[in-house]
Amino acid sequence: MATVDKAERLLNLISTLLSTTRPLTAEELRSRVPGYPEAKLSFRRAFERDKDDLREMGIPLVLEPLEGVDPPVEGYRIDRSRYYLTDPGFEPDELAALHLALSAVRLDGLDGTDGLWKLGGMVDAGPTGPGDPAGALASLPADPNLAALYQACAERRQVSFAYNAQERLIDPHRVGYQRGHWYLTGYDRQRADERNFRLDRIAGAVALGPPGAFEHAAGTGSGLPDDPWRLGEGPQITARLLVDADQVAWATSQLGDATVVERRPDGSAVFEVAVTNWPAFRTFVIGFLDHAEILAPAEQRHEMISWLTAVAADGGPAA
Amino acid sequence: MTRSGASERVARLLSLVPWVAARGSASVEEICRRFAIDADQLLRDLDTVSMVGLYPYTPDVLIELYVEDGQVHITLPQAFDRPLQLTPEQAVALVAAGSSLLAVPGADPHGPLARGLAKLSGAVGGAGQANLEVRLGEVNPDVLGVLQAGLRQHRQVDIDYYAYGRDTHTRRVIDPYRVTSDEGQWYASAWCHLAGDERLFRLDRISSAELLDTTFSPPADLPAESVFSPSADDPRVVIELDPDARWVAEQYPVEAVEETSDGRLRATLAVSAHPWLERLLLRLGPSARVVVGSRDLRQAGHQAARRILARYGGPESG
Repeated sequence: MATVDKAERLLNLISTLLSTTRPLTAEELRSRVPGYPEAKLSFRRAFERDKDDLREMGIPLVLEPLEGVDPPVEGYRIDRSRYYLTDPGFEPDELAALHLALSAVRLDGLDGTDGLWKLGGMVDAGPTGPGDPAGALASLPADPNLAALYQACAERRQVSFAYNAQERLIDPHRVGYQRGHWYLTGYDRQRADERNFRLDRIAGAVALGPPGAFEHAAGTGSGLPDDPWRLGEGPQITARLLVDADQVAWATSQLGDATVVERRPDGSAVFEVAVTNWPAFRTFVIGFLDHAEILAPAEQRHEMISWLTAVAADGGPAA
Repeated sequence: MTRSGASERVARLLSLVPWVAARGSASVEEICRRFAIDADQLLRDLDTVSMVGLYPYTPDVLIELYVEDGQVHITLPQAFDRPLQLTPEQAVALVAAGSSLLAVPGADPHGPLARGLAKLSGAVGGAGQANLEVRLGEVNPDVLGVLQAGLRQHRQVDIDYYAYGRDTHTRRVIDPYRVTSDEGQWYASAWCHLAGDERLFRLDRISSAELLDTTFSPPADLPAESVFSPSADDPRVVIELDPDARWVAEQYPVEAVEETSDGRLRATLAVSAHPWLERLLLRLGPSARVVVGSRDLRQAGHQAARRILARYGGPESG
């Protein structure tokens, strides 16, 4: 055959690698799959590109030694147990709902369209769906480690990564998105406690262990706290915050009704807030400018005064 | 990362072919709709597939395929009878999109989306565990409901709004053009009749919203989807950022950044409201300073700090 379409060559390569009962060497693949160049060097280049394409599609290409060959020779096959999708058995309305979700939610750098094809393609939700004609209903950033960490949670693989200049070994429970950031919640083995990690603060790529490495204990784990000042590893402090009358509604919406411990006649209110990340809470309090004041503990009130004193005094403008 | 045309076609075919084969046949029209291609592309794809088989390519191991009366019929050798497993990227994209839509107040927690998501997380090994959680931002469901109704029915909405940047409470009538969650916060972009201009409102700062009977005509061209849109008239400042405050250059809409020889950044920002700059400088504390700007802006952090300190009984002595 004169020219073989590249898509056809790739499909034949996949079909051959899926069907073989033993690993096939590169030479064997060249003779069995139509469309490779004759010249050895050109073949090598084309074969390398095809392998990259396969891996990029998520095809589990395995390289392993052939049995009973000396000197050792390596061959290729596709791991069938990891190749096929377990059919989730979607109803058309479920597939339509997922299609709608993909069009209503924008995920930077992640495209679920190919994934939807595998599940049975796009099914229209029809005119009754809550689709927003005015663009995306929600936009979420992606993170280079998000897919691997989600996979680790789903398949119960341990993960290790560098965080705050320390190496962590975590049984990952779930990934969560909140206030513009992705977090990982998991059990930190060295610290013997559940911890939260902001994905954009993980240095480099995460490493995944083998699947089924731990059990998700039922009912444990409080999940991701709502507030940034609870996302810390510091000791827990109970802060008392006085908020002026015209800011009480806004403060209550952020802190919750249950934190109000005193309502004063002038309309102002005192909130008691559990804090494990002091810088995050300081940022929240600064948001009120001069409409709020930390009352207690004395140490934290003093820290705020020192912080503000430094800003108030901080030299003059340099230019 | 862009994929070659060939590998995109292969990815599509590895889904399309098992889908048709599982049904024995499907109409050209439906296949094209599901896989977002036109009929010409489908026929080219099918032509490619018809050449696929197994060594030594005898007819019994080729895919059996024909098109008749607008129906595509496929019978497969075993290798291609099921689609390929989702990649981790595809799985998380689908689960995150579905979880996001389910996190919108008012979504049916037992509807088709919730059922589909549960099946999907089962298929990727999640075994019914909720391994991914999305929170789109604090919002009063009543406020969101009123704004969405206004958006759909083109009706004006009367809101009570706390303008955080300017530190003021106001009542205003708006024409909602779009309601979205971005960076973990809900926003409405709207024509504001008080400002006589387009404005972006954070939904958690709307303390009440009332749907009015007055209707409006939405503009043909919607404003760009952007959370921050400084005006050309806003004054500019240059803030010098120490290494521990470099993140500002990534998270704020800086207009220019240059690096100094000692590893600091000088970022140019538009100041649309004075309290906004005060909060930024107070938050950064000793890690940042205004190096270029009007006298008023250069003093913004110092003066705000002194104002707050007055509440605490004055600055620390010594």
